Amino acid sequence: MGENLVLDCLGALCPTPIIQLSKAVRTMNPGDHITLKADDPATKSDLIAWARMTGNHVTVISETSFDIEKS
Amino acid sequence: MVTAGAFDGERPLHPAGAAVLLAAFERGWAQPGGLGEASAHSRHLLQAAREEIAGHLGVTATELEFWGEPALISPMALQGMPAFTEGKLIVGATERQEILALAARAKSSATLGVSHSGLIDHDQLLEEVESDSIVAIQSANIETGVCQNLKEISQIVGAMKAQLHIDYSASGPLVPLPHYWSTADFPAKSWDGPSGLGVMLINKSQRWANPLATASTRRSPESYSLPLVLAAAASLTGWLADSKNESERLRNLTTMMREVIARTIPDVDIAGSGKSEESLPHILSVSILNISGERLVNALAREGFAVASGSACVASAIEPSHVLQAMGILTHGNIRISLMHGVQESDVKRFLALLPGIISQLRTEAGA
Repeated sequence: MGENLVLDCLGALCPTPIIQLSKAVRTMNPGDHITLKADDPATKSDLIAWARMTGNHVTVISETSFDIEKS
Repeated sequence: MVTAGAFDGERPLHPAGAAVLLAAFERGWAQPGGLGEASAHSRHLLQAAREEIAGHLGVTATELEFWGEPALISPMALQGMPAFTEGKLIVGATERQEILALAARAKSSATLGVSHSGLIDHDQLLEEVESDSIVAIQSANIETGVCQNLKEISQIVGAMKAQLHIDYSASGPLVPLPHYWSTADFPAKSWDGPSGLGVMLINKSQRWANPLATASTRRSPESYSLPLVLAAAASLTGWLADSKNESERLRNLTTMMREVIARTIPDVDIAGSGKSEESLPHILSVSILNISGERLVNALAREGFAVASGSACVASAIEPSHVLQAMGILTHGNIRISLMHGVQESDVKRFLALLPGIISQLRTEAGA
């Protein structure tokens, strides 16, 4: 079971949440989870695209909360 | 210095159109509907232009209406169809916002999903279309250059005897009309003609009535400028002649750009398949991970390259591009390149040589 972190990007505009997430994931180990909180309207679709491009896994918890597992 | 408009889709009037425009204001100032010699001359000019444009678009002159407000053509074409009030309005997820808004307000509607490469789900269309449906489709998308399979869509809609509206804003007559269609929207800008003029085609075998309350049988407000019509006709003739050579050359350039960008820049999302039957020859949409679209557009502008962007982080946009979202493409860090006729290959190569360094710099600045 990996470590679970929280990244609060509520109020931050695109592409800040994705950039902050990319930086955070770089320091994580495979299997670690991080919860991203973000309310920019581009975040949800960009996260799904980000997961496809980087190979990580995203689970949408709500419109503003996302669980990411590093692959 | 890069030629203005070479990369960003904002084109100057085609030289053939510019050449006739001033003369047209001198010769074609009278109302074509009036009495007298000057009006008769204007009527003659108008009819000649109508026949010239109709011939290029593959329709008869009576199927063509000029509109002075091109943005209204598609909404009016749809609202003039008999099924608009009671039938189902079926639209693609990547249509223009005003068409999506019409669908949202319609009594019955369906939005067709698109694949990652931007192609409409034909199975869903088959399920949704009924005899009293109206289907509104773009021939190609102006943000991504993705071309729909109009032949197959036309067959599906035609088999149900539903009505089909096609928006040619992005492709112009580069994409031919399919066998079955009801109405079509061709802004003159789609062939480097003048802004402030567009053409609505109404298939003579289809029912259509002007949705604007009018006491006459006119099918458009007829508020267009005759000199712009003449310039549009000349532009179209010139543009089609240019396209014979330019389309293949621009296709080779965008194919090279697609390959070089994918090879030299990590983490990029390039919209569409790039296959010739699924894309316009001159448009390329690239999204780059961990980059602000606004910073990228500004950095390219400092090097002389004006490009457009579908990113919400560009000052003029509030929401991210619904087109990129529908395709599942990254919406931030987006640039939209639209190569104009005559663009220099050396400029394209300089752009490709500069881009990786600019991206690397911006990513470093962002701490990505």
